[in-house]
Amino acid sequence: MCDFDALWSDALKIFPVLGGINAPDEPIDEAVYENVCRHISNLGSADALTAIIDLEVQSAIRNTIVPSFWKQLYAGVDPSELQGDALADQSVSDKNKLFAQFIEAINELHVGYRSLERIKPRLILLNEKANANSAKPVSSSTSSSSIKLMQQDGIKTCVRDAMLAQLPPTFSTIVGAFYWVHYRLFTKDTQLASTTIDSDVFDELPCTGCNFDLEQCCCQKLTEMVNKTNMKLFEMNLTDRLAGSALTALIKDKIKEHINDTCLGIFDRSHLKQLETWLNDVIIVWLTNIFKGWIEKDTHDSIKAPASLQSFKVKLTYFMYETFAQNVISQFFSIIIDYPDSTPAIDDLKICMEKIDMRAYLTETLRSSLEARILHPGVNTMDILTGYVAAIKAIRHLDNTGVILEMVTAPIKEYLRKRNDTVRRVVTGLTEEGPTDLSEELAKGESIKDGKDNGTDEFSNWENWEPDPFGIDPNVMRYNSSKIMRSADIISMVVDIYGSKELFMVEYRNLMADRLISQLDFNSEKEIRNLELLKIRFGESLLHSCEVMLKDVTDSKRINAHIHGDGNCNANDQLFDISSLIISAQFWPSFNKESLQLPEEIENEFKKYTKAYEAYKGNRTLNWRTVTGRVNIVIEVGNRTMEMTVPPTQAVIIYHFQNKNEWSLDELSTLTKVPATALRRRISFWQNHGLITETSPGIFTLIEKETEKSQFEEMSITEADEEDLESAMASASDQREEELQVFWSYIVGMLTNLDSMPIDRIHQMLRLFASHSGGVEFTQDELKHFLQRKVREHKLLFSGGVYQLAK
Amino acid sequence: MKVTIKSWTGVASWRWIANDENCGICRMSFESTCPECALPGDDCPLVWGVCSHCFHMHCIVKWLNLQPLNKQCPMCRQSWKFNIH
Repeated sequence: MCDFDALWSDALKIFPVLGGINAPDEPIDEAVYENVCRHISNLGSADALTAIIDLEVQSAIRNTIVPSFWKQLYAGVDPSELQGDALADQSVSDKNKLFAQFIEAINELHVGYRSLERIKPRLILLNEKANANSAKPVSSSTSSSSIKLMQQDGIKTCVRDAMLAQLPPTFSTIVGAFYWVHYRLFTKDTQLASTTIDSDVFDELPCTGCNFDLEQCCCQKLTEMVNKTNMKLFEMNLTDRLAGSALTALIKDKIKEHINDTCLGIFDRSHLKQLETWLNDVIIVWLTNIFKGWIEKDTHDSIKAPASLQSFKVKLTYFMYETFAQNVISQFFSIIIDYPDSTPAIDDLKICMEKIDMRAYLTETLRSSLEARILHPGVNTMDILTGYVAAIKAIRHLDNTGVILEMVTAPIKEYLRKRNDTVRRVVTGLTEEGPTDLSEELAKGESIKDGKDNGTDEFSNWENWEPDPFGIDPNVMRYNSSKIMRSADIISMVVDIYGSKELFMVEYRNLMADRLISQLDFNSEKEIRNLELLKIRFGESLLHSCEVMLKDVTDSKRINAHIHGDGNCNANDQLFDISSLIISAQFWPSFNKESLQLPEEIENEFKKYTKAYEAYKGNRTLNWRTVTGRVNIVIEVGNRTMEMTVPPTQAVIIYHFQNKNEWSLDELSTLTKVPATALRRRISFWQNHGLITETSPGIFTLIEKETEKSQFEEMSITEADEEDLESAMASASDQREEELQVFWSYIVGMLTNLDSMPIDRIHQMLRLFASHSGGVEFTQDELKHFLQRKVREHKLLFSGGVYQLAK
Repeated sequence: MKVTIKSWTGVASWRWIANDENCGICRMSFESTCPECALPGDDCPLVWGVCSHCFHMHCIVKWLNLQPLNKQCPMCRQSWKFNIH
């Protein structure tokens, strides 16, 4: 037998952990080791010893190594400072401090780990020898397999478990700081290359890598330290488990930062390629650098390491795409406005969307940004339309199925429908001079695709049929579910706001009538061109009356020429030239109901013209609309003369002041048959020109004194024209009421039979009639206006929410 | 003060001098066109019968072509003769 005490002290030398972790780790003597092995195997207590050592190792890790690691790591750091997002707003020096502490802590941890790791081969050898001697391989193998220490990576697992079990919440901040510094060191060169600061100035700045003065730059040293630490981390198999999440968070931050730095607000070139290159050249190389130690050291894992790197790379690439796409989407409104200059950005987004499903996010973001930017009362209708057209173009470029477009633009359409000048703006946009989006589109001259053609296409071409993309909001698609509608061109999309072409064509007719009446220059070439373009798109039938209107203009020109060239009319007694726009009233929108009585001598001139017309066109005569037109007059006051072009009413007013210097408003009103209020407004035109003054209320006097001369001459002719901007046409709502007048007899009939009815019931009934006669469509609001007018006219009574006939 | 009118550009609407407003055949206004025509006025003129009824020329011609034997005015059933002014 042997001396147990001696044996134990020898065993302590071999397995210092038995005496506590701080026991000196001395090199061991082969002979002593052999001796201990023999004795223990003779005693058959190898298993027991192994178990004891295992327990000791575990408790050493749990109670000594790991706590001291944490203690080291947090020495001098107030944990509360590290809470939350501290990584972002910490100063560089703070990070450097954390960085240094992390390295030291890891070093110490590594020392402890290495001392434990050294025990392992000895223990294994001991066990092998013991087993060989005792010849009980079966039992020993079972017992040893149950012992953690004996497993492959046993200590590593144990250390990791202990670390994770005691992980303080702010740990990732420190790891983050470590890698943050590492990243800085690593990207120092690239940063230098991209920095454009003067070298003189640059000398005084701290080194971008280590933040020390340039002379004392310790990047090299730091890099070595980092590399060593990395290697240690890998050796302990801690990189992935312990630092992985912090590392990923850091890289994500860096990617976001980089995308924000390089891509924000720049839409006119593609970024994806460049970003991918950056990811490969900087991030992946950096990661490889971190993982390198492992690969070189552990040939065993050389295949596994790149694989994990590869999957990391895939993850990061997707993350980059996602971040980039989010970045682009958040700025999509600007992209829309910049289109087509922003096409590269849209192309980028398109690639991203192929990889990641961002559709819902895109529609959501875009809808809210559109609502915030253009769908509020502070924006001109024209600007909304411009935005709408740009959105159509840009989104169509992104997604040619039109689904996103439909979903994003639905709120715009709905909003535009509520604005009452939308139609007018669209029509103006269509016909305006100069390059507007809409007029350009119109000039392209594509006709609306015939629904029928496309329909047959879809059936004959069924092999190429593609289902609608996923994620369509059924509420949106209900309006127009067909694919054809969604792929319609921009003009149709704009016209589609109201769902009918008719409304637009009526408005177009009104605007054209206004233009023709106000210009009166018998020059319709541009209008004819526009009309031809519109006809290609909307068909002849809707624009028929416009065609007649333009023909009236050219006919009038010819008739005027004929009458002027005619002998009898050109007699010497003629006071002035008359030209006339002779219209086919049936095809023009109805005029407003203003009137004007001309002075006799002027009226005679018109009679002469009418005679000449009657002679020229048998069986036809003219009804003059005296309010509308343009009169070129010369006014002589004292020794001044002034020539100007004014509307007829103004001309007639000043004409009357020739014979009488003072008129009362009422007198003049009866003479000209212009209502007093309107007349006052017209007179103010001459008041502005300093020719007439209101001496006492309702009495107007001509000014003929020289003193007003300067004021008089300053007036320009353009001002005279400005007065005439009012439309000669009846307003659209007036025309509408005329249409509703058709139903008046129905309403009377209804109310006679049923005594009293609420408005929705009347509306319902009338719609029934209207649909039978294929006639007018009208809303309840319009009907309400109409009925209220009838109430004002005392033809109806309205009480308790029902209408009754007035008795 | 003296006001001299140099020229006057006015607006007038033309109409037929007829004793009715609508064509008795197509029920359209005389100033409008018969169903076949697109442009009113010269391109779709009125004609008068000796019975003083008038119609769109295209309408009455079509009507008369449909009457195999005695050509009558569709309004008063007198035999139709064009009243040439």
